[in-house]
Amino acid sequence: MTVSRSNRRRPPRRPEAVTDPMNLQPAQPAGAQMAGFAALLRDHGLQVGPAEQVAMRQAMAAVGPLNERHVRAAWRAIACNNLRDWRQWDDLFDRYWHPHKTRGTVKVSGQTKPRRDLRQAVEALRSDATSNQSKPGAPAAQSAGDQATRSDAPVSESDLSQGGATRAEALVQRDGQMWLPSELTALRDTATSIMANLRPTPTRRWRPDVGGHRLNLRQTMRKSIAFGGEPLTPVWMRRREREPQVFILVDVSRSMESHAAFYLRVARAFAQVAPVRAFVFHTRIIEITSLLQRDSAAVQEKINAVTAGFGAGTRIAESLLAFSRQHARAQLSSRSRVWVFSDGFDTEPPERLAEALSAVRARGARVSWFHPTHQAAFSNAMQQAKKQLDRTLPLANLHDLIQAKRVLR
Amino acid sequence: MHASPDLLREKLYTSGYLADNELSTAVWLAGELQRPLLLEGDAGVGKTALAQALAKSQDATLVRLQCFEGLDLAQAAYEWNYSRQLLSFRAAETSGTKLKADDVFSREFLLERPLLRAISVTGPCVLLIDEIDRADEAFEAFLLEVLAEYQMTVPELGTIKAISIPQVILTSNGTRELSDALRRRCLYHHLDYPTLAREMAIVKAVLPAADTALVEEAVQFVQRLRGEDLAKTPGIAETLDWIRALHRMNVHTLTSDMATLLATLGCLLKTQEDHFAMSAERLLQISEGKRHDGVAVKQAAPAATA
Repeated sequence: MTVSRSNRRRPPRRPEAVTDPMNLQPAQPAGAQMAGFAALLRDHGLQVGPAEQVAMRQAMAAVGPLNERHVRAAWRAIACNNLRDWRQWDDLFDRYWHPHKTRGTVKVSGQTKPRRDLRQAVEALRSDATSNQSKPGAPAAQSAGDQATRSDAPVSESDLSQGGATRAEALVQRDGQMWLPSELTALRDTATSIMANLRPTPTRRWRPDVGGHRLNLRQTMRKSIAFGGEPLTPVWMRRREREPQVFILVDVSRSMESHAAFYLRVARAFAQVAPVRAFVFHTRIIEITSLLQRDSAAVQEKINAVTAGFGAGTRIAESLLAFSRQHARAQLSSRSRVWVFSDGFDTEPPERLAEALSAVRARGARVSWFHPTHQAAFSNAMQQAKKQLDRTLPLANLHDLIQAKRVLR
Repeated sequence: MHASPDLLREKLYTSGYLADNELSTAVWLAGELQRPLLLEGDAGVGKTALAQALAKSQDATLVRLQCFEGLDLAQAAYEWNYSRQLLSFRAAETSGTKLKADDVFSREFLLERPLLRAISVTGPCVLLIDEIDRADEAFEAFLLEVLAEYQMTVPELGTIKAISIPQVILTSNGTRELSDALRRRCLYHHLDYPTLAREMAIVKAVLPAADTALVEEAVQFVQRLRGEDLAKTPGIAETLDWIRALHRMNVHTLTSDMATLLATLGCLLKTQEDHFAMSAERLLQISEGKRHDGVAVKQAAPAATA
């Protein structure tokens, strides 16, 4: 079944009366429209506050409200802060101000499964717990989001269901769900300790540091001029170290559907405790760092929406190439750690994955591959790409992540 | 200051810079709102050239601060001229006059570095803070005061405010994530590699004497080369260098002379790996417009037999 819809995510609070920003009158509807547009931008991760809205009004007054070409360019310069914002601007602008242009562009194929936000998932977990208490030997509870996808996780599922697994099982060892606050705290603590454990890369350069152990003779002599040649203020320095830069790439293709939620939670924990850049990919790759850094239930819905739109085939090699050539092109270096969360099932020729990983490693980055099963990944692509990986690690639950801390340097 | 983005665009064109509508609007708006403009993009796409052309178009003073790792206040903002202060003390001792501390801590004894010079210029000024991503985060924090208030605090003198607000352009190659605080103070524009038509127009504007056929072929070649997996993708600056070199060597068409192409390839490819990856055969394929080596050609389906 193919359903074509005009616009799945309608812009918030958009008045029907006025449809064109260039026809705005300096009255109430203009303010309401501007606020609605700003809200839409904020929903998509752009940092548009009152100051930016004032600047946008000033810009429109300066270039003339009838000149859409210039208004669009001026607002883009004000509202966008980075490349991610920059690339989605045209789509957002048209979606809000020219909805007729975007009509019919979103297509949903097949049957979509219901998604729930974090709060709903917790409620579902609780209600499941209550209802299943009267059923001894029932399989371990799955969250609402996971129930529809059990067949996609054969290994972890069988582990849980065998031997009459009950709810008494430790939450940290359950796969694919990290819903409770205590678990989230544990996940975040683990992320913090792993990041602290990563070794910085030493460089040959030195930086000024009051507590340093090496005297910067040149600077000391220079400063002594201020005191008539007496070296009263010695300048100390310390070796400059480059902090590791972590990139997390989460596979959200259909084969990863039952694990993607957990992996996105892991990525989110890292993004919130450290300057980590996070991406999701299926047949293409997109950065979600700014979404992950915000902490609200609404964000979880957006992440769900992102993954819902993605549940398709996998082109890992193409995504990795796009990552190394475009998204992280200038940042990949010897201090980079690239963590790929994927089962390794690729629809491209097997040798392409090795080539793509080789391109990442050619820039000096270390690549770690996390697979969702406790067995090593066995796909053809993974077998051929093995030599390009620094390590492969199982990551099915929080316990695995804690174990990984020992080897992640 | 220019009256409209279109007028600014024309002025930039006469200064040798071909800006598109979005870029000219962003630059114009930065001047109108007195906000810094942050330009991001790969090396060689024309970020620095924009600031130079802007200064030329406005007949303004261009003050350039080239950022690097370890850049500090003394190199970027100001420094006291200690040698001159000592000489003044010695001269005062010799002549028997008394010097106060205020006498030697005045503007006369202050060495102006780019940031202080930019806010001290009386006429129009363009301040180019180049490759800000190479500077340390601490320096970024210091810049916040300068960029937000256009003023600088020197403890011995007080706060120095800008005589006329300079137009500030920051460039970044994206090797480091800049802080949100800095980004929010700036307008933003991302400069990408130009389209084929635009790059041809840029080359023709800068090198009007070059053969049109050569320009077309060379720009098409560079555009295809950018699609290859290179360690350093050639930018517009490299294209201009290369075509300038070909023009000097009296080359009129590209396909006729592969030897010249190979000899001048150093203008486009800047790393040993890229030279190694681009063999003569591959370069010939690129110049002929073939995407990949050994790509199978899909044959037309045979006619169905009865």
